[in-house]
Amino acid sequence: MGGILATYPAQAAAAIRASFADRTNFLLQMGGMVVNNGFFLILWGLFFAGFKSVGGWRAADMALLLGLIMTIVGVSGVAFGGYRDMAAAILSGEVDGLLTQPKPVLGRLLSRDSLPSAWGDLIVGLIILIGLGGLGWRQAPLALVGLSCGLVIYLAAATAFACLAFWARGARSFARDLTDFMILFSSYPGSIFSGVSKLAVYTLLPAGFIVLAPVKLLRAPSLGALTLVVGAALVYALITLAVFHLGLARYRRGLTPTNG
Amino acid sequence: MRSISPPLGIEAWRRGAGVLASAGQALRLGALSALAGWPVLIGRAIFYLVALAVLSALWSKVAGERLPGTLARALPAGGLALYVGASEWIMLSIPSIHLRLEDDIRSGALETHLLRPKLYLLLRIAEAVGDMLVRMGTLALAALALLLLSGRGAPAAGLAFLALSGVLGGAVGVLLYAIVGLAGFWIRRTLPAFLLLQKLMFLLGGLFAPVSLYPSAFRRIAEASPFAAQLYWPSDQLIAPSAAMLAQTLALQAGWIAVLALIVAAIWRAGVARLLKQGI
Amino acid sequence: MSAVVSVQSLSKQYRYPRRRGGVLGAIAGAFAPDVQTIDAVGGVSFEIAAGERVAIIGPNGAGKSTTLKMLCGVLEPTAGSARVFGLVPWLQRKALAYRIGVVFGQRSQLWGELPARDSFALLRRIYDQDEAGFARRLARLVEQFGLGELLDQPVSRLSLGQRMRCEITASLLHAPELLFLDEPTIGLDITAKAAIRDFITEHARGEGKTVVLTSHDMRDIELVCERVIVINQGRIVVDQPTDQLRRQFLARKRVTLQSLAPRIVIDLPGLTVLPSQPHTSVLDVDTRLVRVEQVIAAALASGGIEDITIEDPPMEEVVREIYLATAGD
Repeated sequence: MGGILATYPAQAAAAIRASFADRTNFLLQMGGMVVNNGFFLILWGLFFAGFKSVGGWRAADMALLLGLIMTIVGVSGVAFGGYRDMAAAILSGEVDGLLTQPKPVLGRLLSRDSLPSAWGDLIVGLIILIGLGGLGWRQAPLALVGLSCGLVIYLAAATAFACLAFWARGARSFARDLTDFMILFSSYPGSIFSGVSKLAVYTLLPAGFIVLAPVKLLRAPSLGALTLVVGAALVYALITLAVFHLGLARYRRGLTPTNG
Repeated sequence: MRSISPPLGIEAWRRGAGVLASAGQALRLGALSALAGWPVLIGRAIFYLVALAVLSALWSKVAGERLPGTLARALPAGGLALYVGASEWIMLSIPSIHLRLEDDIRSGALETHLLRPKLYLLLRIAEAVGDMLVRMGTLALAALALLLLSGRGAPAAGLAFLALSGVLGGAVGVLLYAIVGLAGFWIRRTLPAFLLLQKLMFLLGGLFAPVSLYPSAFRRIAEASPFAAQLYWPSDQLIAPSAAMLAQTLALQAGWIAVLALIVAAIWRAGVARLLKQGI
Repeated sequence: MSAVVSVQSLSKQYRYPRRRGGVLGAIAGAFAPDVQTIDAVGGVSFEIAAGERVAIIGPNGAGKSTTLKMLCGVLEPTAGSARVFGLVPWLQRKALAYRIGVVFGQRSQLWGELPARDSFALLRRIYDQDEAGFARRLARLVEQFGLGELLDQPVSRLSLGQRMRCEITASLLHAPELLFLDEPTIGLDITAKAAIRDFITEHARGEGKTVVLTSHDMRDIELVCERVIVINQGRIVVDQPTDQLRRQFLARKRVTLQSLAPRIVIDLPGLTVLPSQPHTSVLDVDTRLVRVEQVIAAALASGGIEDITIEDPPMEEVVREIYLATAGD
């Protein structure tokens, strides 16, 4: 375990350097995402100007939520960017080459790519988080905990979706769709969910744990809230690791429908 | 073979009929292509339903609370779920013609098409419209199924008016995307321009909320833009159907289609001239 | 016989600003661009009569495709003139389109996810063909090319050879009198190449069509065309009937032998030994003086042969030889 902690940063740094190679492309992608996120800010700004609050959520709460999810998507894309197309990588047989290397496969899969657009998410996310989220400096440690746990859950869920590729070819677009839905559900005030959607948000598409629980934690800190956030992170991480190893074992038995 | 030339009127008529027949065939081809990719159609329908679920949850909450001093009083009685259903229906049906154009230009396949006696651009747009009609049909089925399941009603007149103006609205969107795609004659990556245009569509077209809820300055800009003709005016028909407004909407859409068609034609001519000189 | 294609001093120059590195260089480049000129085609002249089958060959970047594009009207020349069926291609492209059929070897004109039949239906409309005549032509082409079941499968599922046959069929459906084929056999296996060559020859000869073919592959030329125009560095260096060219320049084969012995010595006329590594012998065979099978037989007789490769000399060499041989003219 210590091995991967030591070598992962180097792998990720290499991917980040590679993403800088085409300057124009990098700036275009990053800029595009900044514009994209800026637009959503405008929309929510208009919304709260007109409607003041929804289900107890005010503009500052929404800003906190958006800041969290954008920062999480940003860090994921920059440092763990391989998660985005992992299903495609599995289906194309890339794992073969990785299995022959001495480093853990999951780490290699995550570190093989860094997305330029994620920098746009990261920049706007941090600005919103720090500037508009209504957080004080004393909440920084708690915010960091919330962010880290949210990051773990987001990556765990996206990776678990991608692992479906170990079982079926159609997983490629399905995994991306699920990840997109997860982000969609993480971009709205939690108070709107009820019934089926609320269930989904706290299980399959864990927006509830990625952003909703951390927001609650930061607005009304309590031991219970902290336990929920950290506990959820551990549970999702463990589930994903189990699913990944099961999938990899299946892959090694030659049962995965690869192209290669 | 071509030694005797028929009278001018007949020749022009025949040529026009030929162009129309080609466009019709291209439209059919676009529709068939869309149907051939039915897994993608289903995926899009699922996304449509999920997005609708989230957005209508938001608007139901807002409408349910009726907070004083907010725009909640301006919301239609049934909430905005129908409106969002309509606007997303149009938005998600517009095919990525810009990708097709960019691809043809960059890969050089455009040259093959230039060698044909019919206007490539017209055929591509006709294809996109065929694709769009199939998508609209699929999403309409999904929406109707959702309406039935949820027990929510929709005014029959509204549905009919929406169907008519929605198709024209989609056509406006296709032309806007085409402009972005044709930029591929000059810039290597049209993606940033596309993202910007799409966000303008969302914002000024009123994808998530009717433009009538915007602050007045914003609203005026939005209403004057082609994006309102694309999304807002048609979708508004579903929650407040009115024959008079429909007539105005259709006229506005026809006007925008004409203007955008001229712009597209001008960009195309400039682009082809560049292609002939420099070969890309 | 009147000329179907008539070209005079046709030239194409490309100008592009050379990019300079660094931020200062980029700014300087915007104000005072350092423009580079490339002469893709430098003044070619030729005529093609009706019913002729002509090959335009040359190494990569020689200007073949550029010339072809100018004749189709897809590119404007910088100087010179050309007429096809009396029309100026780049000015009267649409009118010319009805009378020519074009196949670009590396590009598809068919709609990928749909069966070829659907693409053909659209092409019928595009070329304003009447249904009866079109159906007749299609049936005949399908029979000649053996397309039967292929028509109803999505084009993207066909093999490259099958797809090329559909592409060529598509270009013939409006009964053009002139066919332009740009690298039609590129990337195909031997059987597919043979099928396409046979078809073009039969069809063209039978219907009296004019064919202009560009290719990298010398067999395309030898088997399909009666006349060869060689372009090198944007200029015509040879314009001769194929027979003549074959006798003069193409009568060579390259034989590579892998042997147990470090070197093989064969005593036959017409052989030139090219430098190579131990255990490999590369022989340039002049087929006017000795037959390849005689060389092979002699090699096998000497024993210890592990591998034999027989190939055409690379096109670049042939063209270079042609260029050198004609440099004095």
